[in-house]
Amino acid sequence: MYNPKRLHPAAILLMILKIVKDAIFPLVLIFLFGGNNFGEKSFLLYLGFGLVILFVIGSAVLTWFRFTYWIENGELRIESGLFVKKKQYIRFERIHSVNISEGLVQRLFGLAKVQIETAGGEQADVELAAINKKEAERIQLILAEGKREKTPEAAESADVRTESIFQQTFPQLFLMAATSGGVGVVFSTSAAFISQFDEIIPFDKVFSGFEHVLEASLIFITILVVSAFIVAYLIATIGIVLKYGHFTLKKKGEELIISRGLLEKRKITIPTKKIQAIRISENLLRQPLGLASVYIEYAGGSAKDSENAKIMLFPLIKKKDLQGLLESFVPGYQYEADMQGLPKRAFSRYLFRHSFLAVIVIAACIWLFRPWGFLSLVLVPLSCLWAYLSFREAGWIISGNQLQVRFRIISKQSYLFHKNRIQAITYSTNWFQLRKSLASIFITAKSGAGPTIGRIKDLEKQDASTITRWLASRY
Amino acid sequence: MEPQKRIAKNALKVWRISGILESLLILVISITGITLTYLFDFPRWIIILCVCLFILSFYLFVFLLPSLRWKRWRYEVREDEIEIQSGIWIIKRTLIPMVRVQHVETKQGPILRRYELATVEISTAATNHEIPALEIKEADDLRFYISRMASVEEEDV
Repeated sequence: MYNPKRLHPAAILLMILKIVKDAIFPLVLIFLFGGNNFGEKSFLLYLGFGLVILFVIGSAVLTWFRFTYWIENGELRIESGLFVKKKQYIRFERIHSVNISEGLVQRLFGLAKVQIETAGGEQADVELAAINKKEAERIQLILAEGKREKTPEAAESADVRTESIFQQTFPQLFLMAATSGGVGVVFSTSAAFISQFDEIIPFDKVFSGFEHVLEASLIFITILVVSAFIVAYLIATIGIVLKYGHFTLKKKGEELIISRGLLEKRKITIPTKKIQAIRISENLLRQPLGLASVYIEYAGGSAKDSENAKIMLFPLIKKKDLQGLLESFVPGYQYEADMQGLPKRAFSRYLFRHSFLAVIVIAACIWLFRPWGFLSLVLVPLSCLWAYLSFREAGWIISGNQLQVRFRIISKQSYLFHKNRIQAITYSTNWFQLRKSLASIFITAKSGAGPTIGRIKDLEKQDASTITRWLASRY
Repeated sequence: MEPQKRIAKNALKVWRISGILESLLILVISITGITLTYLFDFPRWIIILCVCLFILSFYLFVFLLPSLRWKRWRYEVREDEIEIQSGIWIIKRTLIPMVRVQHVETKQGPILRRYELATVEISTAATNHEIPALEIKEADDLRFYISRMASVEEEDV
């Protein structure tokens, strides 16, 4: 147990790939613009290139050679460094979580990557880039057991069995892709790409005098739009299936274990006591279908790995199943359907706030592109609808130890905060709100390295101070 | 129930001094504008605009905004929580439970030091707050008090 071990040599390959990935942009630039200027001196260029490659490979091999790890005395010990030797000794009880994932390279060699998060933040996180799968599981087990010995409360549940399992089925993944904003993003990108044809084909000239061509090109444009949409949907679906394929959530004692991914497998272990807040998100497409996504705001996860901080608990579920699922996986959090809304007099503030931008855009459009700019007037009912939805859906409710807050930016968001996880509450009043005795409230909890904020604008001032007093009152 | 304590009266002087520094920047911009107008024969109203800009910003930065800000600034440190109120057009009131405080520090810039003032910075796991100008002794006492109260209960994050 005490002998230092090295990573699998595949780690060298991983390191080289990473360097190449980071350098790919400058490399492309050199090839594109630097290639011809050297003439007969191109020999020197190749020599330099060869040296750089040798250097990269050499340093990768050396780094691999110098990196050793072993387990001793209740610590995971790592020594590394080419010129400066770095020793990291991490006590088991300081470890937040151990994540095992398998990237493409790892899968090729039947290996796994182990990421160890500690309480010390980004600096203290370590990674074993490529080790034997069995070894990875062994380390995870040792670390988990070592942790348990130190904390008596968890010791009772030493023989934890899986209590509940949640799995995302494949058909649901397709629905998820279809209703994710991803389609919109990819669609608008491909539409923007296709619209470049505008520049190449001089539509104006073609249209003048050729009415029949207009019809033909309308068909052409329709085909383009439809195909852009199909491409967008395909790309979004592939992305989501790769990322969330085989999504499984297990609850084992005080831990939630999430594994997902088709090509790159990720496995994340979250101690339930590290959960800072639960967020339920219903985007514009999912809300009418009664679907929602549920996220965990989580205190682990380092700054560079922001994906780990906002963890999807349930990628896509029916809203009516929400309460039951929360009960079995994160007991203590409950979703309340009925909430305290906003007073009627707040609506005009919403209307003002949401139409403000629209008015500017419309004015600019009408000014610049007459007569087509008048089309932008459709923004008026749209922004009114947006204002109305935002107004109607904003709300809050306190139930014992929990504060639930709901608001819409674009998607409808509901936050479930526990009192002992709230870092601060701020409420603000500007001059207009003061006249109507309204206030805005901001509830901050920790998420990863930064904050996550639940907000309600223009609620009854009385309610704002009720919420603030609730936080101040003793547990 | 509004927080009761005000920040040091001298904070006003400090803010006025930094206000003067800020309006110096505007002065440089205005002078550049006026010089360019003379050199390139721009319309004369630009000169008036520059002068007005400087006078207005001087009044705002040195007189109006510091007094408004000072009037709004309140804080109160109780046993279980810290409450801070600030703002000029928008009044913000923040409540930080004492158990969430991770560390407190005091710091001084050159102007603050001249008036024997200090800023108290309070950090939780996810947020940062500050009380901008207190008498040094008061700031130190507050720092001790908060760090003692905050360490009473230890919890996960």
